[in-house]
Parts: sequence; C-alpha cells; structure tokens
Amino acid sequence: MRKVEALVLLSTLSSTVIAAESSRPRGVGPEFGAFYKSTDSFTCISDPSITLSPSQINDEYCDCPDGSDEPGTAACTYLSALSPPQPIAGNKNTSAALPGFYCKNKGHISGYIPHMYVNDGVCDYEICCDGSDEWQGVGGKKCEDRCKEIGKEWRRLDDIKQKAMRGALKRKEELLKDAGMKRASVEMSISRTETEIKSLESKERELKKVYEEVERRERGKVVVGKEGGKSSKVTVLAGLAKARVDELRSTLTSVATKRDALKEKVKDLEGILAKFKEERNPNFNDEGVKRAVQAWEDYAANKMGGDDDEALDRDVESVSKPDSETEGINWTEWETEGEESDVEAHAVYKFEEYLPEAIRSWVHQKIIDFRIMLVENGILADNANSGSESKAVTDARSAYQSVSDDLNSKQTSLGELQTDLAKDYGNGDIFRALQNTCISKDSGEYEYELCWLDKTSQKSKKGGGNTGMGNFVRFDRLEVDEEVGADGKGVGKGERITMMYENGQHCWNGPNRQTTVVLACAEKDEIWKVVEQEKCMYRMDVGTSAVCERERSKVAEGKSGKDEL
Amino acid sequence: MRRSLAPPSRWASLLVLVSAFCCLFLSTAAVKHENFKTCDQAGFCKRNRAYADAAGVSGWEAPFRIAAESLTWKDGLLQGTILKTINKNGETVRLPVTITFLQSGSARVTIDEERRQKGEIELRHNSIARKERYNEAESWTIVGGLDVSKTATESREATRSTVTYGSEGQFQAVITFAPFSVDFKRDGATQIKLNDRGLLNVEHWRPKIEKVEPEKKEGDEETPAPEVEAGEDESTWWDEPFGGQTDSKPKGPESVSLDITFPGYEHVYGIPEHAGPLSLKQTRGGDGNHNDPYRLYNADVFEYIMDSPMTLYGSIPFMQAHKKDSTVGVFWLNAAETWIDITKQKEAHNPLSLGIGSKTDTHTHWFSESGMIDVFVFLGPTPSDVTKAYGELTGYTQLPPEFSIAYHQCRWNYNSDEDVKDVDRKMSKHQIPYDVIWLDIEYTDDKQYFTWDPLTFPDPIGMLKQLDESDRKLVAIIDPHIKNKAGYPVVEELKQKNFGVNNKDGNLYEGWCWPGSSHWIDCFNPAAIKWWIGLFKYSAFKGTMANLFIWNDMNEPSVFNGPETTMPKDNLHHGNWEHRDLHNINGLTFHNATYQAMLEREKGVLRRPFVLTRSFYAGSQRVGAMWTGDNQASWDHLAAGFPMIINNGIAGYPFAGADVGGFFGNPEKDLLTRWYQAGAFYPFFRGHAHIDTRRREPYLVGDPYTGIITRALRLRYSLMPAWYTAFHEASVNGTPILRPHYFMYPGDEAGFAVDDQFFVGSTGLLAKPVVKEGADSVVIYIADEEQYYDYFDFKKYSGKGSQTISAPLEKIPLLMQGGHIIPRKDRPRRSSGLMKWDPYTLVVVLSKESTAQGEIYVDDGDSFDYEAGAYIKRAFDFKDGVLSSANLGTKGKMTDKYIKSMKAVGVERIIVVGAPKSWETKKTVKVGKGEAQLEFHAEEGNKAAWAVVKNPAINIAEDWKIEF
Repeated sequence: MRKVEALVLLSTLSSTVIAAESSRPRGVGPEFGAFYKSTDSFTCISDPSITLSPSQINDEYCDCPDGSDEPGTAACTYLSALSPPQPIAGNKNTSAALPGFYCKNKGHISGYIPHMYVNDGVCDYEICCDGSDEWQGVGGKKCEDRCKEIGKEWRRLDDIKQKAMRGALKRKEELLKDAGMKRASVEMSISRTETEIKSLESKERELKKVYEEVERRERGKVVVGKEGGKSSKVTVLAGLAKARVDELRSTLTSVATKRDALKEKVKDLEGILAKFKEERNPNFNDEGVKRAVQAWEDYAANKMGGDDDEALDRDVESVSKPDSETEGINWTEWETEGEESDVEAHAVYKFEEYLPEAIRSWVHQKIIDFRIMLVENGILADNANSGSESKAVTDARSAYQSVSDDLNSKQTSLGELQTDLAKDYGNGDIFRALQNTCISKDSGEYEYELCWLDKTSQKSKKGGGNTGMGNFVRFDRLEVDEEVGADGKGVGKGERITMMYENGQHCWNGPNRQTTVVLACAEKDEIWKVVEQEKCMYRMDVGTSAVCERERSKVAEGKSGKDEL
Repeated sequence: MRRSLAPPSRWASLLVLVSAFCCLFLSTAAVKHENFKTCDQAGFCKRNRAYADAAGVSGWEAPFRIAAESLTWKDGLLQGTILKTINKNGETVRLPVTITFLQSGSARVTIDEERRQKGEIELRHNSIARKERYNEAESWTIVGGLDVSKTATESREATRSTVTYGSEGQFQAVITFAPFSVDFKRDGATQIKLNDRGLLNVEHWRPKIEKVEPEKKEGDEETPAPEVEAGEDESTWWDEPFGGQTDSKPKGPESVSLDITFPGYEHVYGIPEHAGPLSLKQTRGGDGNHNDPYRLYNADVFEYIMDSPMTLYGSIPFMQAHKKDSTVGVFWLNAAETWIDITKQKEAHNPLSLGIGSKTDTHTHWFSESGMIDVFVFLGPTPSDVTKAYGELTGYTQLPPEFSIAYHQCRWNYNSDEDVKDVDRKMSKHQIPYDVIWLDIEYTDDKQYFTWDPLTFPDPIGMLKQLDESDRKLVAIIDPHIKNKAGYPVVEELKQKNFGVNNKDGNLYEGWCWPGSSHWIDCFNPAAIKWWIGLFKYSAFKGTMANLFIWNDMNEPSVFNGPETTMPKDNLHHGNWEHRDLHNINGLTFHNATYQAMLEREKGVLRRPFVLTRSFYAGSQRVGAMWTGDNQASWDHLAAGFPMIINNGIAGYPFAGADVGGFFGNPEKDLLTRWYQAGAFYPFFRGHAHIDTRRREPYLVGDPYTGIITRALRLRYSLMPAWYTAFHEASVNGTPILRPHYFMYPGDEAGFAVDDQFFVGSTGLLAKPVVKEGADSVVIYIADEEQYYDYFDFKKYSGKGSQTISAPLEKIPLLMQGGHIIPRKDRPRRSSGLMKWDPYTLVVVLSKESTAQGEIYVDDGDSFDYEAGAYIKRAFDFKDGVLSSANLGTKGKMTDKYIKSMKAVGVERIIVVGAPKSWETKKTVKVGKGEAQLEFHAEEGNKAAWAVVKNPAINIAEDWKIEF
C-alpha cells in the first residue's frame, strides 16, 4: 500500500526513458516498462503464474491480484487492504505492484497518482499536470495539459526555494558560529571561574586556619572575661530565654500577618460565592451549580458567630509587643543579677597559680586543650555561644566567612556553567544561538509566541492575558507527514526534531497545556502553523535554519515526499 | 448537540471556583433526573393515571356516551356529539365527535369540546391565549391520504352503529353509543378497541372557584387543595410549579385521554424516541417493567440513560401492534405533552391448557395535556400495509441527496477553516472516503448564526472550494435561538417584525442558550418562515455556496433556563396558541423552515436539501435526517443505537443514525472500531465528538484500527447503490430501511422481539454488527430455511434458528440471504460523488432453487429531475440460468436525456454466489449476441462455490440478458 499512497515525484527523465515511452501501456512508469514489453503475453508482476493476453492490459477488468494488468485504470483499486475483503481464489498477494498511475507531465516533473484518482472526474493537477489521469473524460470532464504553466510556476518557486535554501544554510553557518562563540564564552567563564575558585580555596584555607587559631586562643582564655563574671546560670538562662522569646515573638508576628492575609482571601472568596449565589440564574438547570450554592449556604449558616475572635486578636497584639521595663518581662533585671554566684567555678581555674612556672604553661595549654575537647564534645558550654566574643575572633571569622561565601557562589555558578555546557543544545550546540530569543505568529484568534528553549504562549485577541502553553523540557524526534505549501512552508514528511514544552497553564476540563514544536528547515525563523491537536495539546510547525542539513538540501527542494527517494 | 459542563463564557470564571464544590458531589455520567418530570410531577399524567385506577374498580361507569339522535352519516363521515356527564345531577358537556373513513382504508376519530371550540370560556390571568383546543397539528403533519371513502356504508341500530369500509369491505368499525366505544374489526375479528376500558377523558373547561384557603406556605407544593365536588382533587388543575418555575395554565385542566386495546397482540412497537428495546415494555411496574409511562415531550436530555421510558429529543406518536401474521397501528395526532401507559394481560382460553392457545392482550392508555383527541387507526394486515398507510398521511421519507447517505465527519468543533482543510487533506491522503465535514457552533462569530468567526474562519469560500474539488460538502449548524445582541441584524429584524416566540404576556420571550440571552424564531408563523428563507440566500448568508448544507440542533427547543430545559408552556406562538398545545411540533416547524430555505437559495436552481434535525415529530421524515442526540462513548450506547434507529424506521422516519464513537467521552479503540462497523449500517452515518474529547478522525486511531475502520467505510461506499435503492423504496412507500425481523417474517413469533439484527432494504443483507465489548463472535437468528452466505468469504449458513458467526475485531457479521441480487460499486473513491461514473458489480446470491431477484434505483442524486423521469429503475432476475435486467421506471420528459447521460456506466463484474457445480467447465456466458468470460471457483470446505462474469459489457440503464 505504501507505494500507492506515495505521491512520488521522479526527477528528470532520462533520454532512454523517453525513447521507450511510446511502447509502454498507459499509466506505466519507465522503471516498470520492462514488464510490459512482450507482445505475446503479459504475466502479473508479483504473480508470474497468471498469464494474460496483452489485450487484457488496461481493459477495465482486474485480472492480476497485484493490479499490474490495469496500470492505466482504476479497475484494480478495490483489491486493497483498505477495502472490504474480496473472495479471491487462493491466497493471492493483493499488494499493489505499481506505485500508481504514471503521469508523464511533459514540461514538468513526472509523477505517480493513486489509481483511485484515475477517471474519477477530477483533474488532479497537483500530481498530474498533464491531465492524463482523466483520459476517459467521464461525465464530459476534460483536463487540459497545464504542465507548461504549472512547470514554469514550479520552477519559479523552486528557484526561490533554492535561494532560500542557500540562505538557510548560510544562516545556519552563522548560527553555528554564534553558538560556537556562545559556547566558547561559557567555556571561558568556566575556566576563569575555576581559576578563581582555586585561588579562593587556598585563601579560604588560610583564613580558616587563622580564624581557628584565634578562636582557639580566645576559647582557652577561660570563661572569665570582662563580662564573664556575670555569667551565672540564671543570667545565661535569661539570655537564652530572651533570645527564644524574641524568636517566638517574631514567629508569632509573621504567623499573624499570614493569617490576616488568608482572612482577607477567605473574605474575597466568600464575597465571590455570595455574589455567585445572588447573580446566578436559579433556573439554569445545572445541578452542579445548584449543589454548590446549597453547600455555600450551609457553610455560610455554620459560620455565623464563629467570627468573633477579636479578643484573641487583642491578646496576640499585646504579646507581640517588644518587652520593656513596663511590659512583658524586664530582661535587664535578670541579666544583671547574681554577680557572686559562680565563685566556685573561679576557684577551679585559680589552681594554676599554685603551680611552678614551667609546668604552669604546659598545664595551661593542656587545660585549654582539654576544655576545647569538652566544648567540642558538647560537655561544656562554649564561651562563644554566650553572646560575648572578642573582636579578634569576630574579625577572623568574618574574613574567613566572606571568602567562603564567595567561594560557594563561584562554585554554584561554575556548576551552572558546567550544566549549561553539558545541556543538549542540538547538533553543534546550534540552539545556543537562539536562546533568549522569541518568535511569534498571528494566527486567527490567537497570537502565538515561541521562546526558544524557554516557553510557548498564546494571547487571545478576544481579550485576556498570556496563556502559558508549556515550558521547554527537552528535544525529541517525531515522524511527520504534512503538506509543504508552494511557498516551501511546512514540515513535510519524515523524522523531524521537536522541542517539547510541557506543564503550561491548566485547561478548564482538560490537562495542563503542552506544545510540541516541530522544526523544519527554513531560511527564516518562523512559526508556520499552530494546531490544537487535542484539547489544550498544541503543535507548532516552525521553520528555522537551525535544523537545515546541507547534504539533504538537494532532495529537500522537491515539492512533497522529499524523503521518499 | 449537547448540554455540557462547558458554561457560557460569562459564567466560566465563577464556575471555575465552584468546580471544587462540584468535585465533592462527583458527577456521574447519567441523566439529571431531577430536571425532568416523572408522571407524578406532571399534573395531568397523575390525574389520568388516577382516573385509570378508579376506572379499574368494579362499579365504574364511564361518563361518555354518544347522543344517538345527534349522529349523522354522510360521505364516509359519521358525525355527532358525545355527552360527558360531569356530576351527580347528570349535567353534561358537549363534545363534537367525527369518525372519518378514508379511501386508503384508514379511519380517524376526532373528539373536540364544543364550549372551547366556540370560545365560550374565560381564561385566567387575563391570558390572551387562544381558547380552542389546538386544531392545527394536522396542517403541519398530514400531507395526504385524507380522501374520504366513497364505498363505506353505515348501518345503525338503537345502541350502536356499524360502518363497513376498506377496499374490499374487509374492515368494520362498531361504534357503541353508551358508554362510547369503537371496535375496529378486520375480516370479522376485532383488532383494535377504543375506550374499551372506559378511560376516555376530556377535561372540560371549568372556571376556577376561588376559595378561602388557609394560609399556605410558599413553595409547599404538596398541600392538597380542598375538594370541590366529592372525589375531585383540584390540586393539579391550576398553576403548576416545577423546578422553581410555575406554569400559569390559563386554560385550567384540559387534558385528553383514551385507552386503546389490541386484543391478542403481545408486541407493540413505535412511539419513538426512547432509549430502549424495539418491543415496548409494560409501564405500570412489576419485574423488568417500567414504572412510568412512555413519555413524549421533546426535550434536550443531557446524558440520557438506557432502557428508559423517559422522553428524548423527538416524538412520533405512532404505534404498531403485532401478533402472528397481523399488524395494526394507531397514530395519536396530538402535539402536546403525551404519555402512554402499556400493560399486557395474558388471557388463557382454557386454564388447563397451561399457556397453549393462551393469548395476550396489550392495553395502552394515551393521554395528552391539551388539544383534541385525534386518532388514526390502521388495520394492516402486514407491517408494510401499516407503514404505507401511515406514510400516505404524514408523507414518506425525503429522497435525500445521495451524498448525505455516505459518511459524515463531524466534531464539535473543527476550529478553523485551516483545520477543516487539513482534515480534508488527511482523509484523502489516507484514502479514507468521506463526503461531508461538519461545523458545530464555534464557527460563528460570537454564536450569531449566519456569520463566520472572522478570526478562525476568515475564508469560508476557500474552504468550501477545496471540499468541492473532491465533490465533498460542508454542513454548518444553525439553531433556532437568536442571540439577543444589539447590532446583530438577524435579532433586530426578528424583534422589529415580531417573528419571535412570545411569553405568556405576549411580549418577546427571552431565554438562555448557547449565545447567552436569546430569542426564538417562531416557525409557526408563515411570515417568519418567509423571512427565514431569505436568510439562507447566498447573497444573505455570506461565505456559503452550493456545497454547504445545514444542521438544525436545539430545536425542541432547548432553553437552558427553561422548565425541563425547554420553553415555558404558557409561552405564545403565532395565532396566540400556547406552547403547551404544539410543543412536540416545534422542532418540525423549524426543520421545515430550513428545508424550505435550502430549496430557495438560488433562483432557478432546485436541488435537494439536506437538513439534519435533533427534534422531530410525525412528518419530519419529509424534510431530512435525524440523529439520536447526545449519546456516550460506551458499549451500551453502541448497543442502544440499533433498536432506536429500527424503531424510528418503522415509525416512518428511517433516515436516522447515532453519533459514531459516542458524543460524550473518549471511546477505546476497539469500541470506536466496532462503532464504525455498526455505523456503516446506520441510514445516517456520522462520526461525531464532544469538544472536550480527544481527536478521533479515523486516520488518527492507528494500526490496525485505522485499516479496519477504513474497510468498514469502504463497505458502506461499495454498497451505496443498494442503500440508495433502499432510500428510494422508503421514499415511495414508507418501507423502513433497516427492517426488523417481525417486519420481514410477520409469522415467525421467535423473531418478534429481535432488535439487534436487521435486513438492509430489500437486498437480503442480514447484519448483526458487534456491539459487545470483547466479543469475538455473534449469535445470529435465521428465520427461514433459505441458504445464507457470509458476505465476505461466502461461508454457508442455513437452517432456522441461531447460528454462530465468528467475529474477530476486523470482521462484521453480515450475511447474504439466497435469492437476492445486490448492486455494488467496488472501486474506492474519495467521495460518493466521484463514484458516479464507475461501473457496477452485481452480486447474484442464489437461492436454494437457484433463483435471485433484485432492484436498483439510480438518479443524479442531487436534483429533482427524477420527478420528471430522470432516473433508472431496473429489476434484475436470475431464473433458469438466465440473468436479465428489465425496466421498472415510468417514462417522463427527462428520461431519455438522463439515460443518454448514463450510457457510459456499465457493469464490470457479475459475481454469482452459490454457483452450480455444472458450471465448472463453462468458460464463457452468452451476453446478448456476444459473450463474456466466466471464471468458476469450486466449493472450498464450507465456502460456497462462486463464479464471476468478467466485463460483460452491459449497460446499467438498458435491457440485457446473460445466459449461463
């Protein structure tokens, strides 16, 4: 069946073919001429066991199950896998032996037209510009030979197409160059960043060391500092409590703010529903709507009186106020109290003073180490956490921190750059050149927009905002079979690169919108056609030089079936 | 079309919010019962059922009698007055009665009410409505057959009158005076009894006596009103609420009712449109029976359910009763809401005979809300006698343009002219034949009919021209609701000229439909029809040309915010008739107006219109096709299609179909495939889909389904000559196209309830398409001892009873009955129009006696020239080894010209199925003076022998003879 379906256009005729032409029966193409040479008999092409007399060729009666005895009529069309099964003696192969009815189309390109188009009263000039498919003139139909004009027009368009193709390939080169540059710039960024990271890493290591040293020293200074004396258990607790209360308070405030926002939303929604109930047509006979209104009424009734939480609001408000001497807890009172409460602790540290000098420093060091060990193992409280820290430590840490942050951000951007480099930008990274650009098309009710590797959207002329039709997820491939217009616009037949855009705006009574962008070679980046194949599932046929292929360019200029040969 | 969840745009945003609520009440795909009345909720239905119950009690005295002295007999008309006793004092009201005996053998009983007829009544609420009982149903429905019998004779006795009529005096009507009743007899035996059970009821006019009533709470419908006279429950007499709206009923109670008994008849068929079996069920409860009567009140029923007496979109109050070797029928000509109760009573002659010789009487009880009693009685005795007689009155089905019986590709919606052109190209590319592509409401500019959306359909002519290149057509929807929008010329003219339906106060009625606020054209108004006709002229409806045809939807009428999704009953039509009186005809009037318009699109060019309607009434068959409305993509809906279509066919409206694939929902691929195989046997064959469904054009389904579907479509196309011949037959004598078993074998009791297999016209094709999920075979019922052959491989089946036919997905169970000759055109083309010049294949299916007959009817498929003889009608006959073709046509002034134009159309093959063994050695047959080759294929296993005559070089239009 494929052969019949294929509206194959053959390239130019060879001279030998022309010579053989006159002897071939009607509808037979040159490559099948050999089968029809004998003047004594004819055997069906796929079934040589059936022998016919030459007069049975094109006699409007189908003798060969493969249709080869009727190359010039529609008599064998009923023997097809697409037609109701026919009782045929034996299990004969009914696949058509010929690709169709051969139209010479002198002055243009010859072609095969399906046999079911032969003598049906329609001049199918698109394939048969010479009108030879209607040789019987059924119902008085006359199809004059239009190959001259059609051929001329075709050649004109073909010239334009050739030119366009050259332009397209040139543009592709530019795109590739651009893409290469963009890639190179990314690569450059990567190596630059890597260097930066390296230097930052060593710097970070140094500063970390410094910081740790300083901190270690500080920590070793035992707890007794200028302020250290005040740090009784209670004051520590007070400090902690204060911080905690502050934290809780701020959380409470933010929760209250959020609650207020939600209340506002609920109010809005209730307003909408109340209005909906009021404005709906009660006779609209939509049970769904009726039930919804009923549910709303019940909800509204239950809600009565539940609104009275002003007292609660006042409580929240007062709790949220910052503590001061007159309100809440007077923290100062707690923080300054109990100066002598930790005498015992001091005594422990003082024992050093009774030791000989040499041992003292060793012991001191050990104690510090030991203490740090305890702190690090969570056994002793860390001085650093108590809110007091020496400037030296702070400075060291912030120096270290800032470099560390810097390093992190560099690493992140390096990661991004590397991901980007590894990302699929098509052959030769070509789509890198198109990234961050968009094209659009005015198509009937909508204006469609395609942003390369980003998103697709539509905007209705009847009002409303942009509707997202999907976000780019990946490249893919798709087998297509579409017309190509005389202007060369159209994705044609064969496997094409596609870009999948998914998870666009959700559809009423449907899925999330998605778009399959089918790409075909063109000089200019252009959306040719947008169809809604399924509810909210779109297909965009798009022309772009980015998918042009040099080696195929010669073939691709054919009108249709460009990938057939 | 559909009532879907898709809201008018203004509501969309609100409904989005509400959708969350909707989810809580998970909507199942089933009819919204609460939207439609049960008998209990329809006042007159409840009253008449109660009346029937009271009449069943012993001691009941029917209050209707003929005043014997009033009776006159003249020229086949028996006229007089029925007196209805209305109270214990013996007061009566006068009801003029006419019994007409027609030349055709049909009889008609008409009962009116004198006081209303004379207008001597008062209407409530200062209503300006007409006072008479509606008497114009006839003018919309009846187109002939009313010639009065010249041979009928009457003889009168003191208590009764007997009229003898019919072509041979074989019929009798015995009219008993008190209580009034009529028995119709054929050959001395009673077939139909009117008022045998005394359920005749004509609710006479009475004033409302305002009573001091206790304060009644608003909305409390159940409070019984105090009784006027003993036994009279007034609660449903006056203003009647339903679903939040109240019917003002200015004329008060006015229903009519009659019981009709079919003694000895066990099966009744007809009264479409309902989703259920062909053989109607009992309706007064009990195991397997319905609880409500069959209802006829045309309505837009969203997601209708199976096996239900619920009303649907159309109504034909024509019923046939059938018993062994006898069919009779009644036609209840009333356009108001109507209900029909059916009960069957088994009556054993001898209690010991255990059912042997027992017979079943079918009792029917008909009641309508208003109007007259107007019943036609048909006494058969064959099914085709009855359908023919009914067709003489209401008209036979239109001989449709030939393309319209080919395949239609529809969807709500093809989104743009480019979309249409793309589908058109793809069908061609995949070599799938189709003739018509359809546009639902979205093609319009803002739901304003007679306009095109300028953004999506900027070039309708370009689209139509592309279709025309392969002789394909477009059907666009035009509905009766006219958008109420300033600046829309159609609505402005409608308003200015008062061509709309009015509300009860006589002001233009406004309701909601697809366009939002709308008005409805009143096609009862002749001036409105004239105006409507003008709107379709090519010069007026811009962007149309000759290959555009029309679809009328929503013409019940569907009113989204009306009671039961239709118009208030107290709305007023032309002549101030209440909508209540004519509701069921409304769809017909609109359909008819569009048909008239299509005839007059271009001066001097008369082509057959094609107009599809959803709503219909008796007579709609004259003006186009119908379909079974918004079905669902489910196996039970697929199965329901055939009984519905068959039932429509026997009720005079054979040009019927169901949406292939199912309108709502997405069919699985096997369901869609089976549906196409079934659809290939729908007289009206259209694939259709809801806007929320996935695309399902045949080429999208994929292997192997697309191939199987294409084969089903091409089967339909190759049998187009047979289908067209069947349509021709239906158009001249009312014979259904899909013929059920009882119709073909009126004596075979085992087949009386069979409604899932059928014969196609007179072709002898017996089909039983698969309608069950996963089935790989069907059990087909064979009613006789004739030889049957599988259509595709000539496998033999014979013997009365059930036979199993293997039916894997790619197979359609289709048999050819021996004794027929089937005309085909086997060459596939892009459309039926392009097959016009192709040669025929004749399939001669031999009977056991080695005989076969067949017919073919051919014309240009498009014009009315056939009325002037421009057609070919041939009888094929195979007998004694000779196949011949003889003329059946009557010569007219255009015959010769037409025959000449068809000179080139011949016969390419003659296939003889069941060919005798003696032909084994035969190499040629004699064709006139010449000869043609014969190829013989011997019997193979269970597959019959067959032979082919190759290229006999004979013309379809001429006499010829082939000797084997």
